[in-house]
Amino acid sequence: MAIVKAERTPDRRPPVSEATVLGWLRKNLFSSVSNTLLTFVMLYIIYLTVGGAFKWGVLDATFIADNRRECYDNSLTGACWAGVIHWLNNIFYGRYPRTEIWRINLGGVLLALWMAPLWISRVKGKFLVGVSVVVFYPFLAGYLFSGGEKGLFMQIMVASALVAFAVNMANMLAGLFSRQGLGTFALRVLGQDKATGKTQRNVLLVLIAIAFGAAFFWQMSWTIQSVVWTKWGGLFLTLVISGIGIALSLPGGILLALGRRSKLPIVRVLSTGFIEIFRSVPLITVLFMATTMFPLFMPEGFVLNKLVQVIIAVVLFNACYMAETVRAGLQAIPKEQFEGAHTIGLGYWGTMGLIIMPQALKHMIPNIVGSFIGLLKDTTLVSIIGLFDLLGMLRSISKDVPWMGLHKEPLIFGAILFFIMCSSMSKYSRHLEVKLSAGRKR
Amino acid sequence: MMSETQDLGHVASAISNEVMIEINQMNKWFGQFHVLKDINLTVRKGERIVICGPSGSGKSTLIRCINALEEHQEGDIIVDGIRLGKNLKNLDHIRTEVGMVFQTFNLFPHLTILENLTLGPIWVRKKSKAEAVETAMKYLERVKIPEQADKYPGQLSGGQQQRVAIARSLCMNPKIMLFDEPTSALDPEMIKEVLDVMVDLASTGMTMIVVTHEMGFAKTIADEVIFMDAGEIVEKNAPNAFFEHPEHERTKLFLSQIL
Repeated sequence: MAIVKAERTPDRRPPVSEATVLGWLRKNLFSSVSNTLLTFVMLYIIYLTVGGAFKWGVLDATFIADNRRECYDNSLTGACWAGVIHWLNNIFYGRYPRTEIWRINLGGVLLALWMAPLWISRVKGKFLVGVSVVVFYPFLAGYLFSGGEKGLFMQIMVASALVAFAVNMANMLAGLFSRQGLGTFALRVLGQDKATGKTQRNVLLVLIAIAFGAAFFWQMSWTIQSVVWTKWGGLFLTLVISGIGIALSLPGGILLALGRRSKLPIVRVLSTGFIEIFRSVPLITVLFMATTMFPLFMPEGFVLNKLVQVIIAVVLFNACYMAETVRAGLQAIPKEQFEGAHTIGLGYWGTMGLIIMPQALKHMIPNIVGSFIGLLKDTTLVSIIGLFDLLGMLRSISKDVPWMGLHKEPLIFGAILFFIMCSSMSKYSRHLEVKLSAGRKR
Repeated sequence: MMSETQDLGHVASAISNEVMIEINQMNKWFGQFHVLKDINLTVRKGERIVICGPSGSGKSTLIRCINALEEHQEGDIIVDGIRLGKNLKNLDHIRTEVGMVFQTFNLFPHLTILENLTLGPIWVRKKSKAEAVETAMKYLERVKIPEQADKYPGQLSGGQQQRVAIARSLCMNPKIMLFDEPTSALDPEMIKEVLDVMVDLASTGMTMIVVTHEMGFAKTIADEVIFMDAGEIVEKNAPNAFFEHPEHERTKLFLSQIL
């Protein structure tokens, strides 16, 4: 018997249990008597908890009231959201002057616009966009949020940031409408697209210089009112601390990880020591050190504002965790990749920046985003050392006379805010994973 | 295993008198283990050398020393007039002049085929992107897979990946090409497509050192076959003489095992 099957077998449909809703239900929820029983018990528990929460939080809740007394008069068994609503501005912006809140909103809108090109596939030069956000946005936002007189340095940075923002937006439009980078587009408009590379570069430099001059003179004509950092608070402060923390801890972590794997013994020992010391201390200790001990080591009269100290502490602390995450990613890259990079003549930084890091970071996205989420949640610790971040603001509601003792509702509201922020980060990380791994699938 | 490429007959070589690689009394240790012993080898421009030998005989280590992926401890290696040593600038220079193809391809999985090929020319040779793409496409044509340019390495078969790896090295316009068992990780049906590319490369007069067990291929292109065993060059001869009348006992034994 030589030939087992002469013709190809056609595909058949799978059995019912695999393909239908009914099949799925039977297989997963009602496969046996005990399983069926368990399903009903669980359904009952879900009904009790979700139903109860819904009744308390929505059906019996009070949304409009002037104080806690009125809430109770309205309903004894429901939530008193009126307190949260009354405090909403403080929860979001802290004690930032009401008339200046537009600055915070503008800062948020600018950031969103600045980052928008990163998600539009037609736009060119995404790497530069990313770099410009990290390098220039902080100065613009910093001035927007704190205001006051601009020193020369600040004037230059604000003007540069404005130029960077304008170039970025123009580049986005050029990408959207002509699928070209701004440089190519501008050269075409000016009729210089056939010129030599050197002429083209000079033309672009002149354009940027003109833009910078214009931005510089324009920004000289206005100043905005100064707002002391102690007035910053609420969700805004949480986002400032965690935003800077996220933006700086990743590059810091990368440098520390490279340092720890360096062939140079001094760099290696210093990096390792730094990482191990910060990792073996709780964040709250680092925060206390930064705000109470650190000024003692500084020369007399040297006052660094507390917010800056806190941010530095958060960045250093998280950079050390990030370093270990990145190092784990680096270790997963096989030696062959280094050799491949060496054979095409790449040096250390080329190998790391173009070959190794992109792969290592890609592997580590879930862990990196996990660290970011941890960082965001950890920033609530700053309320212990007297900053009124989101948590601090929520807790101070219960000390406000009209809302005395109102703990539950603000904290639940805070939990919902954190849930939204954290789960959208992890959602986005999963999206990134799928997008970036597209090329590896066969 | 004999490959079909032997049917092509010997590819004519154009050896000049210019010395590309010179190795004098070179020794290398891995810790206590003496991997390479008193290696002497001269490779002239356009010369094609095949190295064979049992596993662990040091043949891979030898060619890895030539582009400084491994450090040697004693003796001299002079590549294209430059003495290999601790000087990092020299190392980077050597690596751009010496292309290398590995058993495991070592393509960059996060980059497309085209990006794999243009990375070196753009970042190391400082060529413009347009120029780099043009060169890359030229070599992709040459290894007969231009249509794969926008795919990722993971989407290609082993044979295609290895051909990309060869093209990637060629994009750097190297003076010497080293092959470290380029077909050992491939399915039999893919070996031929890679060997064909290498035979084609040989016919352009490239200086090549190939570590391989493909004896048919060795007969086709080699000007000289070297047999290594236990870290030493045991026998060295023109391919016909090497295969027909091996002199050393160890060579005879080895050939009887693989042929």
